[in-house]
Amino acid sequence: MANFMQNSVVSYACTCGLVNPITKLFFCRHCLKLRCGFCVCHEVDSHFCSNCLENIPSSEAKHKKNCCTNCFNCPCCQHTLSARATMVVVPKKTDDSPKEGEGDGVKAVTKKMYYLSCLGCRWTSRDVGIPDQNVATGAWPENECSYQTRFNALLEYYQAVVLQDKQEKQEYLRRKTPKAHKFPSLTDRTGLTVSMIRRQIGWPDKNTQKAKPVNITPSVATDELEDLPADVFTQPINLRNVSNIQQRHGQPSDQPFTVNKLYPQRRILWIKRSLRCRQCEHNVIKPEYHPTSVKYRIQLFANYHVPDVLLVRSEEVLHAGKSGSIILKLTNPTMHDMSIKIKELPTLSEELEMIEEFKLACKIKENTATSAAAESLKSITSSPSLTSTTLSRQTSLIEDPRIVQQKANVKLNNSELNFVLNQRDDSTEFDEDVQTPREEPEFIIWRKSNKVSIRLPFTTDESLKVGDLVKVGFTMEYTYVNTVTNTPTSHTLSARVFIDAGQILGE
Amino acid sequence: MEIVDTYYSKDEYVETASGNKVSRQTVLCGSQNIVLNGKVVVQTGAIIRGDLANVRTGRYCVISKNAVIRPPYKQFSKGIAFFPMHIGDHVFIGESAVVSASSIGSFVYIGKNAIIGRRCALKDCCIIEDGAVLPPETTVASYMRYTAKGTIEGGQGNPNFVPAAMQDQMVDYTKSFYEHFLRNPQAG
Repeated sequence: MANFMQNSVVSYACTCGLVNPITKLFFCRHCLKLRCGFCVCHEVDSHFCSNCLENIPSSEAKHKKNCCTNCFNCPCCQHTLSARATMVVVPKKTDDSPKEGEGDGVKAVTKKMYYLSCLGCRWTSRDVGIPDQNVATGAWPENECSYQTRFNALLEYYQAVVLQDKQEKQEYLRRKTPKAHKFPSLTDRTGLTVSMIRRQIGWPDKNTQKAKPVNITPSVATDELEDLPADVFTQPINLRNVSNIQQRHGQPSDQPFTVNKLYPQRRILWIKRSLRCRQCEHNVIKPEYHPTSVKYRIQLFANYHVPDVLLVRSEEVLHAGKSGSIILKLTNPTMHDMSIKIKELPTLSEELEMIEEFKLACKIKENTATSAAAESLKSITSSPSLTSTTLSRQTSLIEDPRIVQQKANVKLNNSELNFVLNQRDDSTEFDEDVQTPREEPEFIIWRKSNKVSIRLPFTTDESLKVGDLVKVGFTMEYTYVNTVTNTPTSHTLSARVFIDAGQILGE
Repeated sequence: MEIVDTYYSKDEYVETASGNKVSRQTVLCGSQNIVLNGKVVVQTGAIIRGDLANVRTGRYCVISKNAVIRPPYKQFSKGIAFFPMHIGDHVFIGESAVVSASSIGSFVYIGKNAIIGRRCALKDCCIIEDGAVLPPETTVASYMRYTAKGTIEGGQGNPNFVPAAMQDQMVDYTKSFYEHFLRNPQAG
């Protein structure tokens, strides 16, 4: 596999036509297609705080405005604040009257107090006058801004407006839909709910109260503005006391002008994502919930299913219009033998055909999906509240496939290279290396368990100039055994691979 | 791209029975407190301060040239105390990095010239970019990338910052690094 910290020299064309290194690709086992980050739906799987590594359920996260309750960010440099403990001498007043000969009754007691401190920029909560706390976590004063009540009122109002809107729409829909039966059927009579009959007659449901938005006082624009104070023009400004853009955006509710109004900010939660194939809606990635776990429940990385191509080296100095060759190492990651066929990339017309085919497949799927949705809609029209929920489920948008931008500028010397790549066997690592001599085609350099090294000869285009990058491209057809179905079935799949072979050096 | 073979001469490196390859030009203070759990490469100029506290690394770790591994300390009212440092398996520590983390998980990549402040916690599968500076007591969660700018990016399932298959990639990378770090056959 390629080193993920460098730009990869080997890239694969995704089904959508974008070119990616294999490390960024996924393989949907149900569509048997490569998927890149744009061909999958990104969904929030779980919320967690990246500092205290606590998993927070999504409802709670919503309630807490996607912030961690225990961790704070520095308002100055956005780094995490840590609680520091200090011993503070507090005078302790004894309530009972001072006894004779015991001094003045005020005793000095050392007490452990906590304050927040940033180890990145040395900001402390004492800088802005936040009193020290008795406990390390929690209990830090909430920084309420002056608009908070107004904001809450507005929020409440608009939530009520939305609710009212929804109810009205439901009412309207219910009136519009033709009643299924004039007379209540048997089931209704034996039946179940009063509310159902009420609905059929056209009465409103008893239990739903009409939400009425409470009135709010609308904001009024004013023409009167305070003049700028005169000293704005005369006093030199001290930029050290003025907060910067980042600091103001960190505190969006009041956006303080000076640094002495910066308060610790609650740390924003992070998410784990699960990725879903847009075509078949199966997961390609589903992480474990626990924030410290690095495992996946579903992981369909491309390098688990597609033969991995690695450039070992370019054989000779590359000249324009002359032949050259590269040495590749192919690895079979699956538990089944693969027979591999390396051939030229599809021509433009073939590629267009492939795109058409792909689009057709998507359309068929979409049609079945919409008809299924219509069916389900029909069956539940009697309960209008349900329709909205089914409709709200998003049908995923499928990105239109495009022609691969990357173009190869060489021609392969052999029209086809055929060979077999053995299955992966983890135990061979510990076996004695026994080479069984066998008849190999001449392009195979060596072979060891599931790896094979081949020489790929090609002729570069004559139009290339010195310094131009030589791009080798080929279609790799491989057999893939699908184990999702009950009986394993073998498929012939293909991947388009592009390799940077190096620059043209000689004339 | 396949990692290119690097060769070292026989007198430059010591290979232990468990497969550790340790350069002779390193400063390993308090070597009785340093545990390298096998197949670890410690390159020339690296410093491991075992005299301060125990240092323990997992298998297939790479400690590159001029890197400094220094157990973290904490200040108390009565002086300071050093804490042992644990490094997981398949960890790559780049050239000239200074590491004082209290714990480093497995499959972690630390770029070159990175500075990891004392008592940081690097969880499994995280990346520290080249030249990043971590203030003391920073936590970098799994699948996060600490950038040179000082921000934390990523998250599990986000393919743009840390590859989703980080675990396999680091296993692959450190293993092939070890396998391509060879004794020069000519020098004997």
